[in-house]
Amino acid sequence: MSMRLPRSTGEWINRDKVIKFSFEGKDYTAFEGDTVSSALWAAGERALGRSFKYHRPRGVLSFANHDVNVMLTDGLDTNIRGDVVTIRDGQKFVAVNTDGGVRNDKNKYIDSISPLLPVGFYYKAFHTPRRMFPFWENIIRKAAGLGIVNFNFPRVTKRKLNRHCDLLVIGAGPAGLSAALVAAEAGLDVVVVDENQYAGGSLSYDRAGSGELATKLADLLSMVNRTPNIKLYTGAYAAGYYTDHLVPIVRADGITKVRAKSVIVASGAFEQPPVFRNNDLPGVMLGSAAQRMIHRYSTKPFDKGLVVTANDHGYRVALDLIEAGVKVLAVVDLRASGQNADLMSNVVRKGIAVHTGQCVYEAVPTEGKFGVKEAVVCPFDEATATVDTSKAVTIPCDGIAMSAGWAPAAALLYQAGTAMRYDYTVQQFVPAKLPAGVFAAGKVNGVFDLAQRVHDGARAANDVLRYLGKPAADVVVSEHAGAAPSHPYPVVPHPKAKNFVDFDEDLQLKDFINGAKEGFDNIELMKRFTTVGMGPSQGKHSNMNAIRILARIRGLPVEKIGTTTARPFFHPTPIGHLAGRGLHPHRLTPMHAWHEEAGAEFVEVGPWMRAAYYKKPGLSKAEIVQEEALAVRHAAGIIDGGSLGKFELQGPDASEFLNRFYTGIFSSQKIGETRYALMLDEAGVVVDDGVVSRLGLESFYVTVSTSNAAAVYREMQRCLQTWKLNVGLTNVTGAVGLINVAGPKARQIVAKTTSLDISDKAFPFGEIRETEVAGVPARIIRVGFVSDLAFEIHMAAGYARHVWDALLAAGKDEGLRPFGTDAQRLLRLEMGNHLVGHDTDGLTNPFEIGAEWAIKMAKGFFVGQRSLKIIAKRPLKKRLVPFVLDESYKGQMPQECNLVIEDGQIKGRTTSVSYSKSAGRVIGFAYVDPNQASPGSRFNIRTDSGVMVKATVVKAPFVSLQQGA
Amino acid sequence: MQNTSIIQPSPITYGHIAEPSKIGSVHGMAVALKFGNGDEESKRRQLIGIADISCLSRFGVKGPNAVQWLRAHKVDLPEERNSWVATSSGAVVLRLGNSEFLIEDSPTSSLAPSLASDPPKMFGVYTVRRSDASLVLSGSRVQELLAEVCTLDLSEKALGKNAVVMTQVAGISATVLRQSLNGETVYRLWCDGTYGTYMWHTLVEIAEELGGGAVGLSSYFKELA
Repeated sequence: MSMRLPRSTGEWINRDKVIKFSFEGKDYTAFEGDTVSSALWAAGERALGRSFKYHRPRGVLSFANHDVNVMLTDGLDTNIRGDVVTIRDGQKFVAVNTDGGVRNDKNKYIDSISPLLPVGFYYKAFHTPRRMFPFWENIIRKAAGLGIVNFNFPRVTKRKLNRHCDLLVIGAGPAGLSAALVAAEAGLDVVVVDENQYAGGSLSYDRAGSGELATKLADLLSMVNRTPNIKLYTGAYAAGYYTDHLVPIVRADGITKVRAKSVIVASGAFEQPPVFRNNDLPGVMLGSAAQRMIHRYSTKPFDKGLVVTANDHGYRVALDLIEAGVKVLAVVDLRASGQNADLMSNVVRKGIAVHTGQCVYEAVPTEGKFGVKEAVVCPFDEATATVDTSKAVTIPCDGIAMSAGWAPAAALLYQAGTAMRYDYTVQQFVPAKLPAGVFAAGKVNGVFDLAQRVHDGARAANDVLRYLGKPAADVVVSEHAGAAPSHPYPVVPHPKAKNFVDFDEDLQLKDFINGAKEGFDNIELMKRFTTVGMGPSQGKHSNMNAIRILARIRGLPVEKIGTTTARPFFHPTPIGHLAGRGLHPHRLTPMHAWHEEAGAEFVEVGPWMRAAYYKKPGLSKAEIVQEEALAVRHAAGIIDGGSLGKFELQGPDASEFLNRFYTGIFSSQKIGETRYALMLDEAGVVVDDGVVSRLGLESFYVTVSTSNAAAVYREMQRCLQTWKLNVGLTNVTGAVGLINVAGPKARQIVAKTTSLDISDKAFPFGEIRETEVAGVPARIIRVGFVSDLAFEIHMAAGYARHVWDALLAAGKDEGLRPFGTDAQRLLRLEMGNHLVGHDTDGLTNPFEIGAEWAIKMAKGFFVGQRSLKIIAKRPLKKRLVPFVLDESYKGQMPQECNLVIEDGQIKGRTTSVSYSKSAGRVIGFAYVDPNQASPGSRFNIRTDSGVMVKATVVKAPFVSLQQGA
Repeated sequence: MQNTSIIQPSPITYGHIAEPSKIGSVHGMAVALKFGNGDEESKRRQLIGIADISCLSRFGVKGPNAVQWLRAHKVDLPEERNSWVATSSGAVVLRLGNSEFLIEDSPTSSLAPSLASDPPKMFGVYTVRRSDASLVLSGSRVQELLAEVCTLDLSEKALGKNAVVMTQVAGISATVLRQSLNGETVYRLWCDGTYGTYMWHTLVEIAEELGGGAVGLSSYFKELA
């Protein structure tokens, strides 16, 4: 049976293009532009999904993505909103959350046992006995959720764009379009966004049986299209409001982050369902849904039905239904009086019975609850919300259109910080105080009359012009006249319940009453207890009724109940949209291509890609790392250290700055000398360490750790600003390449590339020289991080590859081998050098790592000094010590972060653990009780499996030194 | 001081997305002169062209007396912070903040090496080592590319004629300006050289989606063809 109506002006379907699709295994045809719901409804289908909790059949409710009755999967994507997603040819849809399909869902029995499953049931029933909880948890987890995530979903890049404008208008209804036109006429660059496929808002469906409004909309859109400084985005929703008028606009193909100078929220209102028994049956729908179906998709909502209303909008719906050929049996109005006389008489003139002071007490279902068989109508007392069932009248019908009121689509206004008030003339929350640059217009602003909405848009646009410092007119918007568009309490009690408030979560009136009885009588608590508004539609169709019900339960005015927090995003948004292109910036050293060709396995160190080790066929990673380390111990190794942070400081106050910034003394440092530099924060916690080289009286060169470089530089800049010292600070991390040649043959290799005398006597450990290496200017520092004989060569980044190649050539016959960061970590451990951030954490003070020698407490101020004075007076709680396992140990290898246990108490943890071929045993660092810190002390490490392993404190280094040989 | 006998690699490794068809040494650096044939390049460039011009000579200086030092060396300076001027020889002088300057030569000017040969020795002037990746971008769809990688409005309407913008492009710090080069509006972009490959690959990937892509240095500087 086709419900499709004849072609009409402004319909959103293209009848010239027929497409095919299937639903639940059955083939259907649709027109291009049809949504899944519209096409199925036009084909006579009513049951389009099953509800979340009770698995009740569901059809169309809002037809606007304000509910999730129709949620589908096409095998690839899931939770597709059937009401608003247009069909592509060949798609095969299945409803989510069924076991056996919509018509034969095996879980439909849950509806019959629903009295056993009240809200809060889960919280109370399954937590005892505790041993049974995993069993229940498994069942509940499987039952929870709607669609099933497809983990093989293809990676499709969703672009994230930035857009700027003078004015962003959210909502392309009459108020929004009017605002855009006024603002654009004044020269503003205007962006208008609307979540619907076409602009027009209520003008595209709320016609009250007249064709006049279609013409008005066409005229408005024509003007917008002729205005070059208006950019209209449809099929895109404003997802949230962030500081400084940043509004992400979500489109099917990505997100546009709009930064506007001003924002007008003209987002309209969500229609709210009246609450009565079986108000969720397929065929019972909101009045606006019926209108959308008629005017956008030329589909008849039902053949013969009635309109239940609690406002004047219901009469407009009735007129539209009549115009569409629906046999309207009656208009049932909860209100005893106050109806708009013109609308009412229009309906009566069409021969429709109007029953005032009456309600639909219940909708009686057809077999299987797949549709409506009849409606039971009773007298209704508005003041007490009670029903006189003795005068019940049964009206056979196949559909009911509901109009009871509206909730403002004010999520973005709330997020912007708008103070709202409850306006009794419209029975709605409206903006009381808007933040600077944010304006509201139309229904969201409490303005419902069409002409006044157009005025309100113009008024808001003029407010924007004024805000932007431009000439603006005063536009007067008339106060609301007549009955309120929303009913204060459109709720009909029923002893058998199933009078739904929240369709997403299957919440009935009694659930709220029970929640309040249990003490959850604050709206935020009630939300969490009942889960109202926590479904995928986030309370769009349910929150306002929930507030009204709670207000009635507590005997308070609605404004005393308040609203729940409106958080972004406005609709559920795919993770792929948030990920966007997935930009992942990486820094590469000048030798990166060489490392790639040499088979490097890369590791991310901060933003850098560094070679972890160089793969060799037939060898495991562990074997390679040991080989690379042995090369450094027995011959020489070369490592690309370009990622190290490097700063140049110049100026008369440079040494004073370093004295304050680090724990050591640098004012007495000799030119050509290097010093260890330990950085603390104000709390005395070790933050970083590095090396300070003095190049001249007022010139220093500082190296810091790779991963902390950016943070240290920022802190240096901050301190310079604070201390107002005369220092020129330059970050040369990227501009300077760094190569470290280490091992017993390092000197003879480096000597081949430079004319500098690098003998131990002429160039001892801890000094720096400025010279040439391989023909290019370079600095060489004698360092001892991975080996006590090592040369760090620093040169302009552009020459680094040249120097690298020259050193490799010079070391070709000396056994020079590149090594990566994995071997570097082992080598520094063998040398007994701790790594800040690896062997320390966010609470470690220098006394705990034995760095007292690096602290010059007697000097003037330095960062962390005051805290250290306090810490020094307290007993030391733990101490970092080098340790070894017994040479013969063959058991489970302790891992980093295993606990140190003594007498059943946690005394510390391991921070570095590795097998060292050079040492011939497992070596490491661990925090232990200070009483156990002396060499020779034994302590226990508990491995992952719980085995206790004996370790012995030793003196570092773990390997014999070259002593400058 | 630059050692002219050593050819430095560009901070950008082209590979993966677009391989240059001609690489040449310009000012001691190996850079891509062409990507594909001339027709392909010009077709791409009409939509979005991106060229690596990191080989152009560069000099950085900062400090409270940097203005005085540069004036003493007869360098035309922007009066305002965060602005730039072009010298008569085609070099661009960028004022980064109040007291830091970046000078980048045109292919034919030699202001940077001239300044580098006489580095500052006076109080309050410090040389800033530069190792930038330097790019030029243009084309009818370049705004779409910029809108994806930068949150600031870089359109002609918003970005002043002589404005220098220090911002984030594709998530990393970059300096951007707009200029007219041989009658065409182009954008110049600088970032730390170690991010050069990432920046290049990101921009070229987006440009290719928009119908543009990598073009050689000679596409913008015919004298280097």
